[in-house]
Amino acid sequence: MKRRLLYFVTIVTIIIAVSSCFYDNEEALYPSLNTTCDTTNVTYSGKVVPILANNCLSCHSNATAASAGGNIALENFADVNSQAASISAAINHTGPLSPMPKNGSKLKACLISTFDIWVRNGKPNN
Amino acid sequence: MRQLTILLLFLTLTASLSAQDDLMNMLKDTTAAETNYATATFKSTRVMNGHSIERMAPGQLDVRISHRFGLLNSGAYEFFGLDQSNIHLSLEYGITKWLMVGIGRGSYEKTFDGFAKFSILRQSSGAKVMPVSLSAMTSVAATSLKWADPSRQNYFSSRLSYVGQVLVARKISQSFSLQLAPTFVHRNLVATEFDPNDLYAMGAGGRMKLTKRISINAEYYYMFNPKSYMSQQVYNPLTIGFDIETGGHVFQLLFTNSLAMTEKGFIGETTGSWLKGGIHFGFNISRVFTLKN
Repeated sequence: MKRRLLYFVTIVTIIIAVSSCFYDNEEALYPSLNTTCDTTNVTYSGKVVPILANNCLSCHSNATAASAGGNIALENFADVNSQAASISAAINHTGPLSPMPKNGSKLKACLISTFDIWVRNGKPNN
Repeated sequence: MRQLTILLLFLTLTASLSAQDDLMNMLKDTTAAETNYATATFKSTRVMNGHSIERMAPGQLDVRISHRFGLLNSGAYEFFGLDQSNIHLSLEYGITKWLMVGIGRGSYEKTFDGFAKFSILRQSSGAKVMPVSLSAMTSVAATSLKWADPSRQNYFSSRLSYVGQVLVARKISQSFSLQLAPTFVHRNLVATEFDPNDLYAMGAGGRMKLTKRISINAEYYYMFNPKSYMSQQVYNPLTIGFDIETGGHVFQLLFTNSLAMTEKGFIGETTGSWLKGGIHFGFNISRVFTLKN
C-alpha cells in the first residue's frame, strides 16, 4: 500500500515536472518589452511612474504604505521628489537602506538607470 | 576472547598444524561478516546552503529554520544587516531508509519548494567495501511574487524552476569529510536571451571537526556557464561556517555571499561578492523530532 502510494506520487511528480518544462526568456515571451534600453526622453509621467507602479506601489502606494511599505509612500510626485535620493540608493543596493524591491532581485539595469537619469535631470514633474 | 583461549589451548595441546589453520579460518569467518557503515559524514542534511548526502532516518521529522541577514557592511544603523532578514522554513521527513522528502517556504522571491533525496550508496568498510556515499536530490521551486506587470499574459510555468543534483561524499577520517555535488538547475523563465535557462555547476563542500560538538564547514559552487554575458552580474557562492551540535539541535552559523537558501537562488542569482563586501551573516537551526520508531 505504502509502496504503491510512493510509486504514484513519483510518477505524478515526474509527469508534472516534464510537462511544465519551458525555455522562455522575458524578451522573447513579451516582445513589447524594449530590448534596447531607451533612455532618451525620460519624463516623470512617461517613464518614472510606470517603473514605480509596476515595481513599488504594491507596498508603497498611499493606501498600503502604512501597513506594508514602512510608511514610505511613492504615489504622489511630491513624495517621490523628496525621497528620490533614498529610492536611488535602495534600488541600486548601495546605500545603508534596505535593498529594494524587498525579497526580490535587483530591478533591471535599464529601469535603474532610467530612474537615475530622471534624478540627474533635476527631477522634473513632466 | 573465548575463541582465543580455545586457540591457545589447541596450540599447546596439539602438534598438528592443520588444526591451527582451521581455527584461524573460523576466527576470520566470525570477524569478517560485519559491514561498518560510515555515519555522520555531515552533521545535518545541509553542508551550509546546499544539501549533504545525509538524510533523515525513517519516521524522523526535521524542522529547519534558516535566516540570512542583510549585508554585513551596511553599517550600525542597519545593525550590520541584522535589521533585514531572509527566512526559509522547512519540514523534512524520512520516509524509508533510502528516501527523504521536504517542503519549504522561503521569503526570497516568496518561494515554495519541495524536494526528494535518495540514498543510493553508503560508504562502508568490512565485509562490503564502498569508498563513497552517493545520494541524488531533485527539487522543484515555485516563486509567488506578484507579477511585475499584471496586465500582460503571465504563465504559472514561468514561476517554476527545477534542480537535479548528485551528491558524492567520503568521510576521509573521523574528523574530516569531503563532498562533490554536480548540479543542474533549470529555470523556466529568465530575463533575457543572454541568460541561460539551464545552469550547470559543481559544488564542493567539506567538514572538519574542531571539537566533539563543533565543526567548521565550507562550501563552494562553481558555475560552468559563462557569467560575463548574463544580464545581471552574478558570482559563485562561497559559504563558511560552523556546525554546533547541542542535544537534539544542530546550529549552523555561517557567512555567505548568497542571500537565497535554495539551489536556484544561490547558484544562479548570487549578486554579492566576497571581495566587494557582499557578505551576509546567517544561520540554520535544525531540530529533529521522532514521529515514528
